[in-house]
Amino acid sequence: MSASYNETQLDALRELANIGAGTASTALSEMLGRSIDLAVPDARVLPMADAVEQLGPPEQEITGIMLGVEGELPATVLMLLTPENADKVCVMLGLEAGSDLVPSALGEIGNVVGTSYLNALAGMTGLAIEPTPPATVTDFLGAIVESILAVRAAASDRTLLLDSSLVIEGEDCSIVFLLVPDHGGAEELLERIGVA
Amino acid sequence: MADLMARMGELCASGTPGDSLVALGLGSCIGVVLLDRRKGVAGLAHIVLPAADGHAKELNPLKFADRAVPELVKQVVARGGRKPMLEAVLVGGASMFAGAGSTLEVGARNAAAVKAELVKERIRIHAEDTGGTKGRTVRVDPVTGVVTVRKAGAKDEQLYPATRVLQEVA
Repeated sequence: MSASYNETQLDALRELANIGAGTASTALSEMLGRSIDLAVPDARVLPMADAVEQLGPPEQEITGIMLGVEGELPATVLMLLTPENADKVCVMLGLEAGSDLVPSALGEIGNVVGTSYLNALAGMTGLAIEPTPPATVTDFLGAIVESILAVRAAASDRTLLLDSSLVIEGEDCSIVFLLVPDHGGAEELLERIGVA
Repeated sequence: MADLMARMGELCASGTPGDSLVALGLGSCIGVVLLDRRKGVAGLAHIVLPAADGHAKELNPLKFADRAVPELVKQVVARGGRKPMLEAVLVGGASMFAGAGSTLEVGARNAAAVKAELVKERIRIHAEDTGGTKGRTVRVDPVTGVVTVRKAGAKDEQLYPATRVLQEVA
């Protein structure tokens, strides 16, 4: 089975992403003590080579916080923000910019935000899922994204991206939140919500 | 004069003056460069996984090392490269999320698979910048045979041919 979905299915996935991201933005808002705006989420199926470019210039330096998802919906959660915004977020948490604690603080944000997104998904679908501990890197956008896609490339040339933007109000600071289901993961989601 | 892009699972080759072969932001993927420097012809493949064995047949074969390397040889030869004169340069195969499980070994496995294919093709590796935890961009000038690598936050560095360090004379 190759990754291809009809419009009804993509709409259903967008709705799931919307609810997941809504819960995630509440968690982020509580953590930072700021209001968070949520951009309309998108669900897209793309050739892998295009997926990288859709997210931004491949050589852009970006900070990525990655969580694996295990259980009935194997997937990867990836949060992307510019290194400047990563510093801003850490300052909001009370750290000094450039502190040694930045990577672990970002990992913790990833953990809290990612887990709330996943819990919302699990609650809606009844899927048992468990996040793995976060890993944080700052590198080329292309290198980060292709490394996550590469492990899925054995099953398909295409990938499903569920993306949402969390915008921190008044700070000109946004975090892109991505859920990349493993091959078959999205089918499981769609089956649970009755649009398989 | 153009930048020819090798994106995930793509390859390109050229012998045209002014062209550059480019793979942007290689993570666990490997950029394989083949050069015939005398003829001024080069090719670049952006390899994603080691072997096509056991995977669905409708997948793009060029993302697998065992399919992409022979095809790259063919395309470089088609542009005037001479197979016995080909030199290989490898870039990429990093482990971006060190310690985070499954993505970990793909880079190293890709590098091993590409090397095995090059042995089969009897092509020697003249330079490599592989492994580690950093993403890389590779650029190739087919006419001069110069291969440069850039890591995030750093400048372009010439990987091949090796540059001699000129000693400063006081």
